[in-house]
Amino acid sequence: MKRSLIIAGVATLLLSGCGAGPEGGSGPATIDYWLWDAAQQPQYQACADAFHKANPQYTVKITQYGWDDYWNTLTTAFVSGTAPDVFTSHLSRYPDLASQGQLLPITDLVTRDKVDLSMYQDGLADLWVTKDGQRYGLPKDFDTVAVIYNTDKLKEAGIKPEEMSELTWNPQDGGTYEKVIARLTVDQNGKRGDEPGFDKNHVATYGLGLNTSGAGFGQTEWSMYTMSNGWQYADQNPWPSRFNYADPKFKETVTWLTSLIDKGYVPSMDIISSGVGQIDTYGAGKYAMVTEGSWNTKTYWALKGVKSALAPTPIGPTGKRASLFNGLADNISAGTDNPDAAWAWVKFLASPACQQDIVAKQAVVFPAIKSATAEAEKAFADAGIDVKPFTMHVKDGTTHLAPISDHWADITAIMTETMDSILSFKSDVNALDPANTKINALFG
Amino acid sequence: MTSDTVRAAPRPTAGTVPDKAPPRRRRLGDLPIAIVFVLPAAIGFAVFYVWPAIRGAYLSLTKYNVLTPPRFIGLENYRQLFGDHLFWNALKVTAEYVVLNIGTQTVISMVLAVLLHRLTRSMVVRGIVLLPYLVANVVVALVWFWMLDFQLGVVNQVIEWLGFDRVAFFGADLGIATIAMINTWRHMGYTALLIFAGLLMIPPSVYEAAAIDGASEWRTFWRVTLPLLRPVMALVMVLSVIGSFQVFDTVAVTTGGGPINATRVIYFYIYDMAFNRFNFGYAAALSSVLFVLLAGIAYLQLRLSRAGESDLKGA
Amino acid sequence: MASIRWGRVAGWAVLVLVMVATLFPFYWMLRTSFSSTRSLAAGAGDLLPVDFTLGAYRRVLGLSSTAEAVAEGGSTGTVDFWLYLRNSIVVATTVTAGQVFFSSMAAYAFARLRWPGREAVFTIFVTALMVPPIFTTLPNFVLIKDLGLLNTYLGIILPHLLMTPFAVFFLRQFFLGINASVEEAARLDGAGHVRTFFRIILPMSKGPISTLAILVYITSWNDYFWPLLVGKAENVRVLTVALGIFRSQTPQGSPDWAGLMAATLFAALPMIVLFALLGRRVIDSIGYTGVK
Repeated sequence: MKRSLIIAGVATLLLSGCGAGPEGGSGPATIDYWLWDAAQQPQYQACADAFHKANPQYTVKITQYGWDDYWNTLTTAFVSGTAPDVFTSHLSRYPDLASQGQLLPITDLVTRDKVDLSMYQDGLADLWVTKDGQRYGLPKDFDTVAVIYNTDKLKEAGIKPEEMSELTWNPQDGGTYEKVIARLTVDQNGKRGDEPGFDKNHVATYGLGLNTSGAGFGQTEWSMYTMSNGWQYADQNPWPSRFNYADPKFKETVTWLTSLIDKGYVPSMDIISSGVGQIDTYGAGKYAMVTEGSWNTKTYWALKGVKSALAPTPIGPTGKRASLFNGLADNISAGTDNPDAAWAWVKFLASPACQQDIVAKQAVVFPAIKSATAEAEKAFADAGIDVKPFTMHVKDGTTHLAPISDHWADITAIMTETMDSILSFKSDVNALDPANTKINALFG
Repeated sequence: MTSDTVRAAPRPTAGTVPDKAPPRRRRLGDLPIAIVFVLPAAIGFAVFYVWPAIRGAYLSLTKYNVLTPPRFIGLENYRQLFGDHLFWNALKVTAEYVVLNIGTQTVISMVLAVLLHRLTRSMVVRGIVLLPYLVANVVVALVWFWMLDFQLGVVNQVIEWLGFDRVAFFGADLGIATIAMINTWRHMGYTALLIFAGLLMIPPSVYEAAAIDGASEWRTFWRVTLPLLRPVMALVMVLSVIGSFQVFDTVAVTTGGGPINATRVIYFYIYDMAFNRFNFGYAAALSSVLFVLLAGIAYLQLRLSRAGESDLKGA
Repeated sequence: MASIRWGRVAGWAVLVLVMVATLFPFYWMLRTSFSSTRSLAAGAGDLLPVDFTLGAYRRVLGLSSTAEAVAEGGSTGTVDFWLYLRNSIVVATTVTAGQVFFSSMAAYAFARLRWPGREAVFTIFVTALMVPPIFTTLPNFVLIKDLGLLNTYLGIILPHLLMTPFAVFFLRQFFLGINASVEEAARLDGAGHVRTFFRIILPMSKGPISTLAILVYITSWNDYFWPLLVGKAENVRVLTVALGIFRSQTPQGSPDWAGLMAATLFAALPMIVLFALLGRRVIDSIGYTGVK
């Protein structure tokens, strides 16, 4: 008796949040919209104002939660039925939400309204379609990876900026890329990494910074090496069923990265876990160069005391460069009271009117629409930043879609442990074999 | 005279021991009035603690990913838990943390409380001691993270200036000790204040009597102060142990559990399971085990501190 | 005598050492709050503020325009400081008053009254200390939402208004220490339990009660996640939630360090002022009444 009461209570609790709202007409409506980046709130407020002007019956109310709170708050909101109508979403999160029926598929709406998916950078739109062929989002922006370096340190090392755009890399001796990293590394006595007598235990400036071990993603840590070495994350993407972390190409790349730590050119795991972060450390002149994602560009240029420039990621054994290609989109909650209004807003956010005319001009992110990229490049150039090393990946076709997969959080947990351990020299690269087996077991 | 006073004070605590054989006529005792006194708290307790706890215990028997209804799977989560090396690792790491944190915190706070009590009545001093507690956990962790940074931190600069090698405070070896130190810093004033409040409850006549007997400060502390502090110390220890088992924020903003799980404490693991991996049923099972563990420890602590009291009386 | 004096010297030495260890991080926060966020990394080891500016404080008080904030590398966002301050005061004061009062009533019943099942009920109360907050947050949020109390003061306050296991446990331990003869004397004078509680127990326990009140006030003032969930709306938003804007906004991003430190110091300031005003009275009132 008692238990059935409890179960009934639990059910009530859960169901209370899940009731589908009444189908809204096209009457006046307020759309609740969430995002996490405060720096982007002004530009989306501008989009919301433009949207309201074009559709006076709809008003958009923007709420911002910082990244650290965003997903907890959103989960709680879903459980209690107070989720926003539309929210900015992330590739690592939306598959879970979609599979739990919390998102409104927009497949039919896209067809009905003839949204031209070819206006987005190639591949981006595919990231938001799940295994069962349902689409949940339209791309709003994209990001790629490049090298950011300290121009003064480069000059001191006697390296010319032109050399930076022609660097090559291979997992055997590291190529010209490793030579530059070694040259840029300086110990406390002023000896460089490629000079005899270099003291790898007392490094003043590391040639290359590192943020984390990269877990199973390594977007800015190692993906540009592994993929220019011909490695792919999995058998297919999106929605793989077998991962390739035990592949020899992956192993040799990780071995090479570990060797840089051993040589003292890259900080050890102990050091990077004892640090506030790559950006601040670079700002203090402790890193001569770093590999970074385009979304952080402005933060680097805002640092006082260091002058920076961009260089493309190195050319690998495949003869090509490589960068992950990633981006955000807006999702609609399944429980929205007003699907029409929500869809209208999502469509507007994914249109040139918002992306090209407003977002591109702010020079914070690259909008997903092809024609808006040039606009954004210009806006960045006006701010004194030549972002071609980011956008050249798109022009040259060297982008690789970010892995979209079920069980991503579990994969991350397994790979964090494994990669941490390898980069700390606690285990060798063969630890990737059992890890990969465990990951593949998740897919049955 | 002295011994009389000393004995007189703890006597009321005898009331904590359940009355073995209450006289039949007083079976109800003060029950009606007691209900009135307890009722408001009991309502808050039932609604905001008991119900969620029961719900949590039920969820630990289900597969539940928060957003779709739970599915009953019996003891499967618990079976999985015993074979989960991360769970055992988290317990080990948490135990290390608790020992380090409680050890340093209790000793420092006790010394601090006694010094505050014996040396000064200054509100300024007292206020300064409590200052760290005014700052939120997350901010405390961030400030120390900056100061202890391997490459940028002021502490490491001083260490280097003194001629030593820089220290990786949040590395695999020292991480958990550093986190324990940071939380000791935040809580020592708070704990000292709890003990201090206990010291204020000790009648001055006790000290006067001890002084007349010619007891030294040291002896008075061990023979008079400490025994009389037992109820408060029991409280402090129980609270600190429970609090330190639930350490979470500091880890989340500094090491994030790494490197290689060296700082993945149990509560951080639970949180990660629930909100990042949507494995709420499993997180509930982990929480339930933690709950039982804590209840056991608290029970032992209370038992031990009570046993101590009766020893004193027998002396 | 000489040995005692040396003891005092040693005691003061320890006390001073603790004070320095306590205060240095605060100095570091102060120094950071007066720095420019953009310059902090380059001057990481400087003992003085890097590129001295009051910009962070202007951002905290909501005086700085978006453009100014961006120029200093700070967070942008509107901050209506005085409104949030008022909300924080309302919430923390109500929670403290309610929690301390109701918990002391319960604690009195657990410590001084005799009734069957007392120990069992108390044990259950105390075990609630061990319920991980992760259990309670979700159902409590759903409850508050079902009661229609989202974005109200009451919604923020309610879960902590009637009791916390800590408060009950804390006060019971102190009430246990009160000499039984005091109550017996009151009873001989014909006072009932209610009167004994209000006239004897409460005044006698001013020390522990004011200590508890201080701790509850601080905890309530610093509470972040719960008011973030239930009280995000402007009119009830508390200071900690509003100042969350200075924390890291993006994955792998950096907080607005100067803004965060300024916000932290500023948010702590009202409490420091409060205790400076009340502290003396609290200390003076801790007499040793009733021990005779």
